[in-house]
Amino acid sequence: MALLQSPHWPVLIDVYFFLGGLAGGAFVIATVATLLDSRRFRDISRVGYYLALAALIPCPIILIVDLGVPVRFMNMMRTFNPLSPMSMGAWALLGFSACAFVAALLTLLEDAGRARSLAGAKIVVGVIGGFFGFFLAAYPGVLLTATARPLWAGGHGLGALFLAVGASTGAAAMALVLMLIGRRMADGVATLRTMLVLALLIQILSVVVFVVSVQGSGSAASLRALATLTSGAYSLTFWLGAIAVGSILPLVIGLVDFKRRSPGLTALASILVLVGGFLVKFVIVAAGQV
Amino acid sequence: MARTLAMFTDTSLCIGCRACQVACKQWNELDMEVPDWTGTYQNHTHFTDKTFRLVRFIEEPGGKPNGDLAWLLMSDVCKHCADAGCLNACPTGAIYRTEHGTVNINQDVCNGCRYCVSACPFGVVSFNEQTGTANKCTFCNDRIHNGLGPACAKACPTESIQFGFRDDLVVKAQKRVETLRAMGFKEAQLYGADSSGFLGGLNAFFLLLAKPSTYGLPDNPRLPQKSVFVESLLSIGSALLVGVGALVAFRQRGGGKEG
Repeated sequence: MALLQSPHWPVLIDVYFFLGGLAGGAFVIATVATLLDSRRFRDISRVGYYLALAALIPCPIILIVDLGVPVRFMNMMRTFNPLSPMSMGAWALLGFSACAFVAALLTLLEDAGRARSLAGAKIVVGVIGGFFGFFLAAYPGVLLTATARPLWAGGHGLGALFLAVGASTGAAAMALVLMLIGRRMADGVATLRTMLVLALLIQILSVVVFVVSVQGSGSAASLRALATLTSGAYSLTFWLGAIAVGSILPLVIGLVDFKRRSPGLTALASILVLVGGFLVKFVIVAAGQV
Repeated sequence: MARTLAMFTDTSLCIGCRACQVACKQWNELDMEVPDWTGTYQNHTHFTDKTFRLVRFIEEPGGKPNGDLAWLLMSDVCKHCADAGCLNACPTGAIYRTEHGTVNINQDVCNGCRYCVSACPFGVVSFNEQTGTANKCTFCNDRIHNGLGPACAKACPTESIQFGFRDDLVVKAQKRVETLRAMGFKEAQLYGADSSGFLGGLNAFFLLLAKPSTYGLPDNPRLPQKSVFVESLLSIGSALLVGVGALVAFRQRGGGKEG
């Protein structure tokens, strides 16, 4: 049995993975809304861009606090290493931060009545930032796979999973905010609910791909590590929390809601998606470090 | 680049005196640690931020040619891989390759993200809570740049640890394997000597008397970064699906109003 060491990344890093993914997801959805019909989907676009910036603000703080030598955080900008997802992630975070700030600023200018429509500028920033946003959501999964840890390195699709979680949690958070401010709720919320259901499907598919590929990796160490996730210390959090309550249940509620169209059900599904999205990232990071 | 330097650890010559481990501690001024109780003379269980050389004591029932218990000894160390997972993972450039082919961590640049700790296929790189940085064997960087061999190799009384140019040492090691096989050590094998093998070859390579896994070494270590390309493609696939999903979601609500 090979002797390996764990990076011991704390739960705070899972919070970063969650917030970064949510911000990226919300930003992309806002950009699609702006692209398709900036006037009709104005509320979705506004909420998405504001939310992306809000969720993003704690991210660099979390990352800097977690460093062994926080004052050296700028050393991440010394290299550009395409083979290192952490290096690329640091650059993506910088690029996304710039875009999220500008997009939120443009939205604020519109809201304050300083400009009639800045849709053109928003689309430019949105498309560039959308690329960074997707990158920010996905790279932690690729980062985990590019290690020697048997669970993460043993399977495929963690990047795909993290991206889908970013999209589902982004849509869920936007739906909740839209409902809270209660404006033009029906149309926007219904769109986001469909988005949420579709992202959940990709999310569940990615989890299946990951678990099955670890199972088929043929590595004894990977199978042992998988057992901590599926039948060991983290199995309850994984099956009940991340899968049953966090993914399947909101999917069922979302599908039922297509007919019922009840704001209560949409809100419940959104909350469950947020909880499940955090848990699925948390449980994979935690089980991989045992 | 200068001719690649290497360390060849011939475990068949190791007597378990741990002079290498002590010499490493002393030269590199590594603090003392609370000992681990491992049930053997081995201390510690594994590499730490203050133990860069570690003599492993392994009891293998039936491991000797005549079927007796084999008491395997191995002085383990950072492998200074030609394709190093830690070096590729490092986002700050703190981990670098010297002109001699060794891998080193610049303690003035490392910011303690710990990605290298998770990326080492051998579990060598350790996080130091006091300095907040990643630590590992330096191949006695200060010594080799001043014409001296690493402290561990210098201290070894049986030449179990040999220091020199890599190409010379590989030839020597191959001869030694043949000798041992002729003596009846059927499992005698080199680990990491082949520069066309895993990780591009190890600049600290070993002669083992049993399967690598017996020593806690991976049989076929893999460069972690090899998965980056495929996983990126899968992520792009997921992004496209999400994008299509978004278009569907926005189109679907395009006409109707609902209550």
